[in-house]
Amino acid sequence: MILKRLGISVFVLLAVSLLVFFFTLLLPGDPAQAILGQQATPERLAALREQLDLNAPWYERYLSWLGGLLVGDLGTSAATGGSVNALLASKVSASVVLMAIAAVIAIPVGLLLGTWSAMRRGRAADQGLTGISLVLAALPEFVIGVALTTLLSTTVFRLLPSVTMAAPGTRVWDYPLQLILPTLTLILVVVPYMIRMTRTTMADVLDSGYVEMARLKGLPERQVIFKHALPHAIGPVAQVIAMQLAWLAGGIVVVEFLFRYPGLGQAMVDAVNTRDVQVVQALSMIIAAFYVIVNLLADVVGILANPKLRTESRS
Amino acid sequence: MGLGAAAASFALAGCAAGKQPGAAAIRATGAPQRGGILRVGLTGGGASDSVDAHVPVGTADAGRVINLYDGLYEFDADYVPVPVLAESATPRDGGRVWIVRLRKGVVFHDGRPLTARDVVATYDRVTDPKDPKTGASGLALLKRTVAVDDHTVRFELSEPDAMFVDATAQYSMGIVPVDYDPAAPVGTGPFRLGTFEPGQLTVLEANRDYWREPPFVDEVHLVNFNDQDALVNALLSTQVDVVGQLPLSLIDVVNTDPRLHTVVSETGNWLPFTMRVDTAPFDDARVREAFRLVVDREQMVEQVFSGHGTVGNDMYAPFDPGTPQLEQRTRDVARAKELLTQAGHPDGLEVELVTAPIQSGAVEAAQVFAEQASEAGITVNLRRVDTTTFFGDGYLQYPFSQDFWYTRSFLPQTANGTLPASPFNETHWADPEFIALYEKARATLDDDARHDLVARAQKRLYDAGGYIVWGFFNQADAYQNYVGGGSEHRAGMPVSGFQLRTLWIDREGK
Repeated sequence: MILKRLGISVFVLLAVSLLVFFFTLLLPGDPAQAILGQQATPERLAALREQLDLNAPWYERYLSWLGGLLVGDLGTSAATGGSVNALLASKVSASVVLMAIAAVIAIPVGLLLGTWSAMRRGRAADQGLTGISLVLAALPEFVIGVALTTLLSTTVFRLLPSVTMAAPGTRVWDYPLQLILPTLTLILVVVPYMIRMTRTTMADVLDSGYVEMARLKGLPERQVIFKHALPHAIGPVAQVIAMQLAWLAGGIVVVEFLFRYPGLGQAMVDAVNTRDVQVVQALSMIIAAFYVIVNLLADVVGILANPKLRTESRS
Repeated sequence: MGLGAAAASFALAGCAAGKQPGAAAIRATGAPQRGGILRVGLTGGGASDSVDAHVPVGTADAGRVINLYDGLYEFDADYVPVPVLAESATPRDGGRVWIVRLRKGVVFHDGRPLTARDVVATYDRVTDPKDPKTGASGLALLKRTVAVDDHTVRFELSEPDAMFVDATAQYSMGIVPVDYDPAAPVGTGPFRLGTFEPGQLTVLEANRDYWREPPFVDEVHLVNFNDQDALVNALLSTQVDVVGQLPLSLIDVVNTDPRLHTVVSETGNWLPFTMRVDTAPFDDARVREAFRLVVDREQMVEQVFSGHGTVGNDMYAPFDPGTPQLEQRTRDVARAKELLTQAGHPDGLEVELVTAPIQSGAVEAAQVFAEQASEAGITVNLRRVDTTTFFGDGYLQYPFSQDFWYTRSFLPQTANGTLPASPFNETHWADPEFIALYEKARATLDDDARHDLVARAQKRLYDAGGYIVWGFFNQADAYQNYVGGGSEHRAGMPVSGFQLRTLWIDREGK
């Protein structure tokens, strides 16, 4: 069962690589024009195209690119002339740090608040939480980001830095204060969904016959929740968490933009602007791989949490 | 972008309302102080940023090369070329030869003295036929550069060129040593290069051996931003000390903050509409005049530049001493309709205007134009593309479009954009009378006679050219009040034309 999922994942990634390659070919303009912009004279264009090896046929470029991917070589950036690996290494790690902090805080908070809300169904606390999470879920991330900046950095309270800046030779996480606003924005964007989905799932589980049975047996409520109810909710909730994590990988673009965070999103926008095809391709593959992996993990968790599926996979 | 701008004004409006009384509002005055790190925020820049002296592309590139290198000449705050590494430039043989004497005692960042051989190497590098650099188009007449002795260079041209000094004053013409390597850049400028992270951060370290007044600050950090909102937020939360190219619509808002002030410079930066004079319907001069007459220039400057600009009169190079004062063209819809009828469009006509966010205000200008033109029966269909597409294959081919230029004198601007051989002849203008006047002016060394020829060439442009030059926009920078030394500069480049060595930090005020 798990092996089958793994096979599907590899196939999906291969298909994505083909799509990414062909769609980036369709971008109007070529990298040489993009780099030179208004300064493009025909002579300088010709010289740069030669330097960037833009004259080779597409299939040669695809095969050498795919071969590179398999050994972890993401190619050469048209904009810098250096390797894509070097260009992206620090940005990927910066984004991963941001997402990891957001996830580590958001997942327990989402699960606990969702469960708590489900246990207090219909009461004021549940209704208040539902209202707040509905409003937050409806707001786009840039609105949340701007509101937080106005509140905590530029206007009402001047407590926190509004953008991320790192002194030369240091990394963004050397200044933890700067991470607060972007992380908080991401958390506020993903937590509402997690709360709502956990609440719904838990509510279903709490209404089910086996929970009623456990209660009738006279088990303590804590044991009912953690031993009987929660394991049944884990599968569906893992799917929601996976979706939210996958969203983080793509939706981080706006947040990085707003807080000048030097991560994947910023690199992506920059690469599209300069038609830096190999960087766009590399980033698309990284994000696709991230999607595939979190979904795979969610499936595995789902399989392990579900006794029926678990035994199937053993046979 | 629309959303982003709205978000920014929202944040700023909030700021004006929630201001704390008694916030530090001391303006740095008095004698400049030494020391400190100045953080300058700029929008633009990316992975392709460069420190190569001769191929600056974006604004941030310009900021780096202006401060790492010196040219033979440079433009002062009034946009007049003044000698820098040159002591003098003397024409010989009617302007066919220029003798440049170099300043003595200037050293490169690595301690070696500047010699004529370095100047020759620089000009050879820029005009290398296999890989011509940005400045090459202004030096098309340059045949040979010869080192006469250690401090004298002879430039031999194919034809007399009164604009030779102007070409040497372009910021992409910094002098570099013979063994120049852009990977470890060496110049004679007021700063040397410290850390350089493309698209993120450039550290410029003060060159204490600079031949002029060295920088007041110890270091300048040029910080790239991709987003205007983030840039303005960084200013409000005091994470940067200076913001270059503040959006013009935010000038008044920033000025209401007692901790900040702005420096607004009049420039010759222009954002014209370009009509291809060799394509219907613009091959008819009456249609071109009608299009120029439908523009309400004052309203355009008001709406597009928030009033921070000056009205144009269909001629570029407003600071050129030769530019004549002709009658200001104003909106006249009736006359425009009459001209269109004469040109065979009694029921109006329909055109496509290609626009892109090539400069802030460009798309807005196109929208305002479409509205103003509709009253004269002209239907303008806007085709909005992104900047990279705009400068792609279609660039210079659009029948009706826009472009963006920095301040330039008349003759160099014409060489760049209004001659058949120009690299950016977007209007396909090839008027024999205009060309003759240009060539004669370029070869005329006598200032008065040349200005007279320029005035006549400008008149041709005013009468029949393919540009709608409706305005010149100001350049605004925002400073924290503890930063002193900011001043106006006509070149159109942010932060006082990137004269970063003149800025200083009042550490008590900070």
